[in-house]
Amino acid sequence: MPSRAKGAAANGAEATSSSSLKITVNGLPIDRPCPPERILLDLLREDLDLTGTKRGCDLGTCGCCTVLVDGRPTLSCLTLARLVDRRSITTIEGVTPVHGLSTLQRAFVEHGATQCGFCTPGFLVTATALLEERPHPTRSEIIDAISGNLCRCTGYTKIIEAIEAAAREGR
Amino acid sequence: MATGGTRGTRLLGGRIPYIDGPLKVTGQAEYTDDIRRPGMLVGRLLRSPWAHARILSVDTSAARALPGVAAVLTGEKYPTPFGVLPITHDETAIAIGKTRYVGDIVAAVAAVDERTAERALELIRVDVEPLPEYTDPRMGVEKVAEPIHARGLLGTNIQKEVVQHFGDVDAAFAQATHRVRVHGRFAGVTHAFTEPLVTIAEATADGRLTVYSATQVPHYLHRALSEVLGIPMHRIRVIKPEVGGGFGGKSDPLPHEIVCAALSIETGRPVKMLLDREDVFYTNHGRHPTDNEVRIATDAEGRILAYDIDALIDGGAWSSFGTVTTYYNGILAMGPYRIPNFRYHGRRVYTNKPPSGAMRAHGGTNLRYSIEVGLDEIAEATKLDPFDLRTRNALPPNSTTINDFRITSTSFLKCLAAARERSGWDSKFRKLPYGRGVGLGCGFYISGSNSPIHFKPVMPQSTVHLKVDMDGGIAVHSMQADIGQGSNTLLAAIVAEVLGVDLERVRVPRVDSDVSPIDIGSYSSRVTFMMGNAARRAAEDLRAQLLRAASHRTGHPVEQLEVAYERIQVRHRPDVGVTFMEALHAAMERAGALTATGAYSSPPMGGSFKGARAGTAPAYSFGAYVAEVAVDPETGLYRAEKMWAAFDCGRPLNRLAVEGQVEGSIHMALGQVMGESMNYRGARLLNPSLLEYKIPAPAQMPEIEVLLVGDDDPEGPFGAKEAGEGPLIAALPAMGNAIYDAVGVRCYELPITPDRIVRGIEDRRKEGRAWKGA
Amino acid sequence: MHLDPFELSQPTTIEEAVRLRAEHVDGSDYLAGGTDLLPNYKMHLNVRPRLIALGNVAGLDGISLDRIGAMARLADLERDRAFASSYPGIGEAIREIATPLVRASGTVGGNLLLETRCFFFNQSEFWRASLGYCLKADGDRCHVVPQKEKCYATFSGDLAPTLEVLDAEVEIAGADGRRRVPLERLYDAQGDGIHRHHMAPGELLVAVYLPKDARERVATYLKLRVRPSFDFPELGVAAAGRFDGDRVLGLRLGLGGVETRPRRFDELTDPVVGSRLSDERIRAIAEGVVRQSRPVHNTFLAPEYRKRMVGVFVRRALTKVRDSARVA
Repeated sequence: MPSRAKGAAANGAEATSSSSLKITVNGLPIDRPCPPERILLDLLREDLDLTGTKRGCDLGTCGCCTVLVDGRPTLSCLTLARLVDRRSITTIEGVTPVHGLSTLQRAFVEHGATQCGFCTPGFLVTATALLEERPHPTRSEIIDAISGNLCRCTGYTKIIEAIEAAAREGR
Repeated sequence: MATGGTRGTRLLGGRIPYIDGPLKVTGQAEYTDDIRRPGMLVGRLLRSPWAHARILSVDTSAARALPGVAAVLTGEKYPTPFGVLPITHDETAIAIGKTRYVGDIVAAVAAVDERTAERALELIRVDVEPLPEYTDPRMGVEKVAEPIHARGLLGTNIQKEVVQHFGDVDAAFAQATHRVRVHGRFAGVTHAFTEPLVTIAEATADGRLTVYSATQVPHYLHRALSEVLGIPMHRIRVIKPEVGGGFGGKSDPLPHEIVCAALSIETGRPVKMLLDREDVFYTNHGRHPTDNEVRIATDAEGRILAYDIDALIDGGAWSSFGTVTTYYNGILAMGPYRIPNFRYHGRRVYTNKPPSGAMRAHGGTNLRYSIEVGLDEIAEATKLDPFDLRTRNALPPNSTTINDFRITSTSFLKCLAAARERSGWDSKFRKLPYGRGVGLGCGFYISGSNSPIHFKPVMPQSTVHLKVDMDGGIAVHSMQADIGQGSNTLLAAIVAEVLGVDLERVRVPRVDSDVSPIDIGSYSSRVTFMMGNAARRAAEDLRAQLLRAASHRTGHPVEQLEVAYERIQVRHRPDVGVTFMEALHAAMERAGALTATGAYSSPPMGGSFKGARAGTAPAYSFGAYVAEVAVDPETGLYRAEKMWAAFDCGRPLNRLAVEGQVEGSIHMALGQVMGESMNYRGARLLNPSLLEYKIPAPAQMPEIEVLLVGDDDPEGPFGAKEAGEGPLIAALPAMGNAIYDAVGVRCYELPITPDRIVRGIEDRRKEGRAWKGA
Repeated sequence: MHLDPFELSQPTTIEEAVRLRAEHVDGSDYLAGGTDLLPNYKMHLNVRPRLIALGNVAGLDGISLDRIGAMARLADLERDRAFASSYPGIGEAIREIATPLVRASGTVGGNLLLETRCFFFNQSEFWRASLGYCLKADGDRCHVVPQKEKCYATFSGDLAPTLEVLDAEVEIAGADGRRRVPLERLYDAQGDGIHRHHMAPGELLVAVYLPKDARERVATYLKLRVRPSFDFPELGVAAAGRFDGDRVLGLRLGLGGVETRPRRFDELTDPVVGSRLSDERIRAIAEGVVRQSRPVHNTFLAPEYRKRMVGVFVRRALTKVRDSARVA
């Protein structure tokens, strides 16, 4: 490591390569070493075995990797794990109740909003945050909210219907 | 909950939520990349930066010496060629002798982690001698200096040439009143499934090889692995976990799958090969870039006298399904209209580009677009309403086309009637204000290819095994591949329907060649029809066993018994009977756990001329779509406002799934119309990313009204036909014709980018040809 | 796709950030939301051995009616009711940026300093190597306009044109302290796709300031793209005006997504001040902008079309501003 970096670290700005990471994932505290270059998606899938979060494009376009960071939908493929230190992460596994399904998940099932299912966790996380913020979104608000998630199977039609139905039913 | 069967069924015909839905909405569904095996290595591919080059040497010594590298592989080790069609095996797992496109695999590495594997790739030195690049099929139709493949026709790059002539086209054109000629140009498009390609291979000490792969045809992968690796099929086990979309792009055995297996054999350790999104674009096998010329002749009343079709198809570096593609780009013109004279000349030409292959509605879209636009022009010339023109020409049920397609059921006329009425066509066509328009497009597609690609040994196209044990759960084994289309749900529902049991009793374990009986997989829109029939037969076999046991128990002869919900009872005396479980346990007293088998083979059909089998199918789907569009004439930007999709899939067995297929098909069709295209500079793909390859966003989707009007098909399971691919076709010309109705611009090229519309409007104005007063 | 190892600094003050950056002037990048930088890093584009993350730096955040912190998330600006109702034109521009998911992480400063884009730059290492790289990264020639002097990568930020027409200023921190410059003059008129703004290496964008009269201007942003989400602009036109009845008190026009910088056209709009913004004058301005704009073929749509659309979008933006001022 160059000496300048050490100096910087000594002055308060962390510049080490293996600081520890303290985060909460789906309600459980995680404390582990994490190099700066570790991407949140990789941390979740590879290190924590939370494989519900999907890797679709790895470049921030498709939305398959969406997770909540402090309740906010976030592209985990473009997030450095170290930069969510002390934050709370919720993945699709965390959106799922211990028993059964959430209203939104049930609506996705009943309305046929899943086909191949690969984009589904991302859509569900996005839609969960939407309904948290706006329990009764209009159709166009739903379309706006999911406009960062790509689905190749459904044409989005049944996804939108499912979110509408879940909103009607309330949570 | 599943709701309401129709036409005498309990489940089928209703809306049946996918049985794997709960796993998919929770992230619990297991895809290949979610699987981890002990000691698993990471596989990486070195891809060619050269479009066409002779490989002089590949020096892997430095890569091999890198700590953490377990194996480095080059082409020579596995020289056996493979391919999806037995007659066109022209790929090797890794390039041997030369590279044929930017992205071709030159070497492969297995290492302890991603970074080490990539570092190893950087250390491989490849010496090449550049060869002439052929990036356009036109460059390869004559003899070339360096054919891309030695097997090209007579020193050209032509992979396949088809010439067909039925009737007398020249005579028909000579006597025709109206003739149109459409020159269609179509950019290549790709599947863009959300799950990237990924394979895990595990060679084990017992001499066996297990391969998990994101594939829609496990059986073809199984064969290719055996052929290339030289391992008997029975020592290879292919497992298909959940697959995140296929659309045809996971139907060829793909080189990375074989390379992954080879690396595992080399290292004796499990290897995962996950492709980056960019690599998925290079693997491609998407829809062929195509130039076609469609000439149509009609009489004064708009009756079609002849088609004369020429297609020049850009195959890219490999054959893939190309021989089929070449036939389909002609013969899929044979419906939904009666064509008395037909001529086709098709050529598929190798180019130094990523290979084209089969994509949803394979061979059916580009040809259909040109035909339907041509018919719109004929309608205008004959002053016939486009619906009337098509009604007049509709192929009747129980007829034979001039090339010997056997047409059994068709509800095409009902499709036309439904689309016309529901869309309010008669008050809209040529009547909406300038900038708004409606357009009609029609289509038809095969419901399962009558020709299995691998027919040696001769065997049924689909087989289903059922197993029930004392727990009362019914396991359905089959090698059909659910890739999101809901075939597992349909399989379970058919079994539950026949046996009268609750859907929840039926399980569909993932495809595993060790236990799943043969099925040639999910392509050519064959699963509902063929697997559905096999499943029905298997369930009927099992039902017969249960009925016999129930007969023993109740003392009533089998003929007097009927199946009811979770029960077998005496007809008209529902109080006398046994529960399903009682019947099962009674049957098990003699036989132990029950098993049953059902199989399906399509009936003999087709003519005896060369290529006669291409396009033959036990049934065909039909569709008539109306699109309503709004075009901004100044910018050429447009949106699909609404789509009325009248479709004949026979009897829709799961309405939820069929609607989903129609809606998803429209999404894919709109993509090809509105902006999807694989753009090249020379041999280099400019947009290998989901950012620059533009599949439609949620806000681009129109309101969709799905009209399922089909009558029962006589041979389909419970009257069903396909709904996976056919629903895509009509949407494309409906859009093109609607844009014409809106602003008077004929678009012969896909995608219809806004600049093309602006140019068309400009040309019209220059020529002083007003449209709707503008 | 992994990132190559790098050092990560997480300073807490502006001064510390600037100092760190100065210490590693050729070997570091500031990291804001990451939605622009990290895809480029994943594709090995101009990767530096150190990232200086700005998330913990005090004084870079905050949203008020006259100041937007550079680290304000685009989504927060979009959701801030007071801000949104005061600056509907800025809201229009923000909603046109990428996707809601990108906006959730992406920052105002990041969008203003977005890396320029090009088909021959935004590609993987493998892709670029296959073509021998380009001027903007690792190479010595341009593949868009083949030559060796100038990079044509396009500035694709959606926010800059809108903030420019509102006469926003930006505060910049450097080793020698703070300075404020009009946003419009941040971008280098003599620069190119590589040297695109007048910020010294190591300088840090701190905040955007909006002038008092910005709220009195009627502003709009119109963006051309193939998909109504995801896509970067094929062009973006911002317009803002103040009117007294029919009389123009001030008019500004900005264009982005076409050249290597977002630019304003004061020489075309200033002459209208004091008179009526007639259709003829609008048309004349539009023609003037078209004459000056030179799109090249490095985005999805053809440059001839984009050039033509510049005129249409300018006309529409100006007309919209004029007509909505009338209604208001």
